[in-house]
Amino acid sequence: MTAEPLLTVRDLHVTYPTAGSPVPAVRGVDLEVGVGETLGLAGESGCGKSSLAGALLRLLPRGTRVTGEVLLDGEDVLTMKPGRLRAVRWTELAIVFQGALHTLNPVQRVGAQIAEAIRLHSRDVRGAGVGKRVGELLELVGLPARRAHDYPHQLSGGQRQRVLIGLALACDPRLLIADEPTTALDVMVQAQVLRLLEELQEQFGLAVIFITHDLSTLAAVCERLAVMYAGRVVEQGPSRDIFEAPAHPYTRGLAAAFPVIGDTAFRMKPSGLPGDPPDPRRLPSGCPFHPRCPDAVAVCPSTPVELWPAGDRRSAACVHVSGSPVPA
Amino acid sequence: MNAGPLMEVRGVRVEYAGRGQVARAVDGVDLELRSGEILALVGESGCGKTTLARTIVGLQRPAAGEVRLRGKPLGYDRRSLREHRRAAQLIFQDPTGALNARHTIYEAVAEGVRIQELPGVEEELVAEALSRAGLRPPESFFTRYPYEISGGQRQRVVIAGAMVLNPQLLVADEPVSSLDASVRGEILALMLRLVRETEVGMLVVTHDLGLAWNVADRVAVMYLGRIVEQGTTEELLTAPRHPYTRALLSVVPEVAEVEQQILSGEAPDPTRIPPGCRFHPRCPLYASGEAARLGIAERCLGEDPLKLPACHAVA
Repeated sequence: MTAEPLLTVRDLHVTYPTAGSPVPAVRGVDLEVGVGETLGLAGESGCGKSSLAGALLRLLPRGTRVTGEVLLDGEDVLTMKPGRLRAVRWTELAIVFQGALHTLNPVQRVGAQIAEAIRLHSRDVRGAGVGKRVGELLELVGLPARRAHDYPHQLSGGQRQRVLIGLALACDPRLLIADEPTTALDVMVQAQVLRLLEELQEQFGLAVIFITHDLSTLAAVCERLAVMYAGRVVEQGPSRDIFEAPAHPYTRGLAAAFPVIGDTAFRMKPSGLPGDPPDPRRLPSGCPFHPRCPDAVAVCPSTPVELWPAGDRRSAACVHVSGSPVPA
Repeated sequence: MNAGPLMEVRGVRVEYAGRGQVARAVDGVDLELRSGEILALVGESGCGKTTLARTIVGLQRPAAGEVRLRGKPLGYDRRSLREHRRAAQLIFQDPTGALNARHTIYEAVAEGVRIQELPGVEEELVAEALSRAGLRPPESFFTRYPYEISGGQRQRVVIAGAMVLNPQLLVADEPVSSLDASVRGEILALMLRLVRETEVGMLVVTHDLGLAWNVADRVAVMYLGRIVEQGTTEELLTAPRHPYTRALLSVVPEVAEVEQQILSGEAPDPTRIPPGCRFHPRCPLYASGEAARLGIAERCLGEDPLKLPACHAVA
C-alpha cells in the first residue's frame, strides 16, 4: 500500500436518535483504503455497515449523530462546508446502492439521469460534451449507447445495476462505495457485474469499498477484508488469509455459511451460528458476540475486546487471538 | 412402506398468456421425488423453477401433463385440491410476507390445523410443532407477533405451520435467501433434521448451488422451462456434464482460481424459446466453435435434445 491512504476513517461513531433510547449503529471504526485498493466490508443486517457507508458520504438522515474523522486525502468529509461536500461527492467519492429499481427515477430516461449528474457535478464536461459522455459511460459499463433513451423499466435488473455503476462513475470518482451491489441479482448476472467492477478498477485505478454479507464474494474480489459485528470491526486483514483461516469465531461462522462445493466437510452439514445478530440498543456485555460464540470462555461476558494482533497484517477482537492481553 | 416415488411430475407444461404472446414457463418436465429425499431444483431466475414448484403444490394448473402423489394424479376439483394442499406444503422465500402481521404466532400455526380440521387438541399440536421447529419453550411464543421475533424465528414459525399438518411433501422456494448468513445454516439444519425424522420428501428451489451441496441428495438443473441435467449431488456438482451446469458452477465465488464461464445476457425469454437446443445462443461450446469441431453444430441449431443431459455434445 502507498504511504498516504486515500481514505482514513478514525474512531467513527454513528448514532440514530429515536423516540426511545438512541441506537448506536457504528461504535468506533477505524479503516484505511489506499489508492486503487479494494476493501471488503463484511457483516450481516444491523451490523452497521450501511450506516458506515452513509457516514462516509454524509448521506444519513438529519439528526443522526456522527463523530470521528473521515479523511479524504487528509481533508475531513465530516466537517466540510456544503459547497465543498457537493464538489467532493461524485468527483471524489461515489456510491452504488443495492436495489437498482428504487434508486433510478422511473419516469426519466436513464441517459437524462446520467446527464443531470454530469451537468451538476462535473467540472470539465459541458454542453454537447455531456451527451457524448453519457454514451461513453454506458459503453464503459457494457451497454449500447442507444440504451440512454430507455426508461428504467425497459431494462433488466442487471442492466439497471450497470446504469447505476455508470452513474456513479459519471464524474471520475477515485473511490467507489458499492453497498450490496449484486445482492438482488441472479448468479450469472452477479458474476457479470463483479467482473465489470474488476475491469473498471484495473482501468482507472479506482479504489472500491465493497460491502456485502457474502464473505465468499469478498474473498474472491477484495485484497483486504474488514468484518463488522454489532457496530465494530471484529477482524481485519488480507482477505484470502481471513477466508482460509478466520481468527474470530464470528468470521468462522460466517465463512461456514458459504459451503465450498466439493468439500466433504460441508456435505450434508449446514452450519451457522445459534441465535441472531443483537439489537444495537441492547448489546450484550463484554464481547458483544459472546452469547452466540461457540468458543466463549468465562472471561468473555466481562472483558471489553478490541482489535488485537492476530498474525501477519491481521487483527481480531477476540480473547483467543495470539495478541490478546487477556488470558483466556 | 411404499416402494414407488412419493411425487412424480410427468410431461408438465405451464403456459402464461399475455400481450398476444404465450410464455412457456414450464415446457415439458419429468421429475421424481422419494420419501425422505431432498431434491434441489436449481437455475437462474425466470427459468421456470418457481412455476414448477407452484404446480407441484397445486397452486398452478398445468396446460399438459400431470403431478402425482403416491401414484395418484392430482385432481383440480375443490376436494382434491384441499387434500393435496395438506399433503404438499409450500414454504416461501420471505417469512415476513408469508405471515399475517396481525396474527399471533399461535394463530399462524393454528390456522392450518383449523382449516384442515386435524384431530387432537389444537394447543398441543401447535406447541409440539413450534418446539420441533426449535422455538422453545413454545408457550413463550404463543402471544407474540411476527414483528417481535427475528427473521430466522419467523422462518421457523412458517416451517412449524407447514409441519403441523404432517405433510408428505415439502416444497421450499429459496427458503433461506432472505435470512442473514449466520442464521441460514441453522434453518437448513432444521429442515434436514425434519426430513430425516419424518420421512417427508422435500423439493428445494434455489439458485444457490452451495445450498444444494449442504442439504440435497439429488440436484436437477432447469433452463428455460426444461430440466437439462439431473443426478446425485456429488455427481452433478463435482462432475457436471451439461455446459449450462458447468457455467453455473464456474461462477460460484470461491477463493480457488477456476476459469469463469460468464454467460452473456440474462435468462432468456420464455415467449421466444430458441429452436434446436434452447441453450445454444448462450452456449460456450457452441460459441467457441467446439460444437462445430465435434460436428454437431447443425443439430444444436435444429434438434431439441430430449435425453438427459440435454446436450448434443455429451449425449
